[in-house]
Amino acid sequence: MRSRITRATLAAAVLFLTGACATSEDWKVWREHTTHFASGEHGFFSLRNNKDGSNPKVYRSDIEDARNQNWWGIYAVTVSPTQIFQN
Amino acid sequence: MNRLGIAALMAALLLGSAASAMAAPEDGITPLDLYTTAKAKSLAATYRTQLLQFSEHIYHCLPWVGVTKNGIGFRQPKGAESDDRYLSVWISIDQADDGRFGTLPLQRRVSAMFSRYGVDMLRRMTQLTGIASDADVYGFSVILTWLKPDSDATRQPISETLALFIDKTSLRDFLAKRLPASEFTTRSTFNVFEGKDLVGRLPLEVWEDNFNSTFKLKNYELAKGQKC
Repeated sequence: MRSRITRATLAAAVLFLTGACATSEDWKVWREHTTHFASGEHGFFSLRNNKDGSNPKVYRSDIEDARNQNWWGIYAVTVSPTQIFQN
Repeated sequence: MNRLGIAALMAALLLGSAASAMAAPEDGITPLDLYTTAKAKSLAATYRTQLLQFSEHIYHCLPWVGVTKNGIGFRQPKGAESDDRYLSVWISIDQADDGRFGTLPLQRRVSAMFSRYGVDMLRRMTQLTGIASDADVYGFSVILTWLKPDSDATRQPISETLALFIDKTSLRDFLAKRLPASEFTTRSTFNVFEGKDLVGRLPLEVWEDNFNSTFKLKNYELAKGQKC
């Protein structure tokens, strides 16, 4: 009995610790993508190309998608246009 | 799911990805309503076709860089007192994890990025029909952004950015090798940023680098109807 409680507590702790680093925005993005493929674009890319990497084809839209989905929610801190320009 | 359902799903995915791909070059153009002066609006309206072609060219032919949203336009540097307009492009550069690049000091990374991408983009902009000879165009500008190497993996990544403005006469002479690189950088207005923090003006060296005009991305399929 004690062993079960310990295991359950441990599992809950692991879940908490692994989830605690995600922001609310990260969770929102994650909830919107619950399938095996990270996105429709990801799924389409995988279906088009062979799993073994033979004869791969990369389209411009794939690169754009990869760039935009760059680990969802973790975006680089970048200077704002208003710090550089005036219109 | 039956075959019809799968086909419908794939069609929806295809339409979705095609729409986002087509929208990207258009999104790179600064909208007219963001400009605050008649000169800037007039330039943006007059050369809209050239700017869009330029954005499409970068999108399809230089896929290792990306124009940021509203990144192409006739801008002026922050703090400018007269309405001098610079044709400007802001690109984000995909920087592969390169140990050598990461060991360079910031000023050397900035010099390498400008030599590789900045000079080439400036040259391409001077070749857009009509713009360089327009009296209302004072100069050209490049904003280069890339991920700071070896960012702490436990923290949000940080970009490094170079923002450079140069008058068109100096640029023309520099590209024609009539103006030494040292004089070109002296005449340029530029700043470096780490994340949102202003680093300021660093010693900038410029050397020959034809990567951006010669590199070919492996397995890259050019979209139908496009030429580079």
